[in-house]
Amino acid sequence: MTGQPGDAPPDEYVEAEIQNMLTEDPSVAEQGITVARHERGLVLSGEVESPHRREEILRRVAERFPDTPVTSDIGVIRTQAPTQVEELP
Amino acid sequence: MVIRIAAVGDVHVDEDVVGRFRPALEELPDCADVLLLAGDLTRHGTEAEARCVAREFGGLGVPVITVLGNHDHQCDQVPQVVKVLEDAGITVLEGTGTVLECAGGRLGVAGVKGFGGGFAGRCASDFGEPEMKSFVRTTRESADALASALLSLDCDALVALTHYAPVPDTLAGEPLEIYPFLGCYQLGQAIDSAPTALALHGHAHHGTERGTTPGGVRVRNVAHPVIKQAYSVFHLGEQLD
Repeated sequence: MTGQPGDAPPDEYVEAEIQNMLTEDPSVAEQGITVARHERGLVLSGEVESPHRREEILRRVAERFPDTPVTSDIGVIRTQAPTQVEELP
Repeated sequence: MVIRIAAVGDVHVDEDVVGRFRPALEELPDCADVLLLAGDLTRHGTEAEARCVAREFGGLGVPVITVLGNHDHQCDQVPQVVKVLEDAGITVLEGTGTVLECAGGRLGVAGVKGFGGGFAGRCASDFGEPEMKSFVRTTRESADALASALLSLDCDALVALTHYAPVPDTLAGEPLEIYPFLGCYQLGQAIDSAPTALALHGHAHHGTERGTTPGGVRVRNVAHPVIKQAYSVFHLGEQLD
């Protein structure tokens, strides 16, 4: 199967598998993470609701795809009160 | 007179999020008449996660009205989730509506989760395999329920609340290929069938805030990753005078 050492899977299939895993793995369940293929590996970007979730994504991806270099650019969404309102006349 | 509406969607609350929104939510009575939640309150739709939502969004000092999202359906515990939310005083809409007496007038909110299907000219049709027909019929039934709920409300200002998007405008930033999984034109058609003043939705984390329906109704994507704050506040007003 794709992602196993020695299989030399096409990167596109690894990308698809990681994307599906991010949604379907109960410990992740994120639909808002983008997986982009770069020359030197995959870049995960997007935003999550807590630092714990960001760590969990990286842990699960590394566990499942130990040979795939992954860079993280995942942020935690701010939760401050708004400073402006939108007037809708 | 102005009706002040706070809104956010896609908060995906679990134990690790409890307390993050609360400081900003405590300010709501000073700045809003109501808080509308545009679905995906939880990560997997479990009763335990719903209790976390109830702790975070219950007892705020303003009425809280919500629809559910696709994440809230994941574990097939919708009745339990709804009960926990309602026990916390949160009104859950699904093809239904409610009217609130606000200082600025009567606010009507009609809500439905909605569904995917795509947008005019690039959408699924009720044709072919049973699975495809079932998909599109779900879309249509959801939109019909929203239209009925909108038209049933007697109020001064009417708001449509959905999880899925009613227009493609607010999806800008998402890959075009997934638009059919993010919303459907039938929800926009339902919104345009009533004197709707504002439509709020979530679901599209990479989308944009502002759009309009073909009929000119203002649409706002209030998904938390889009608004990047605890909630947005809208002042609906002058048309009431």
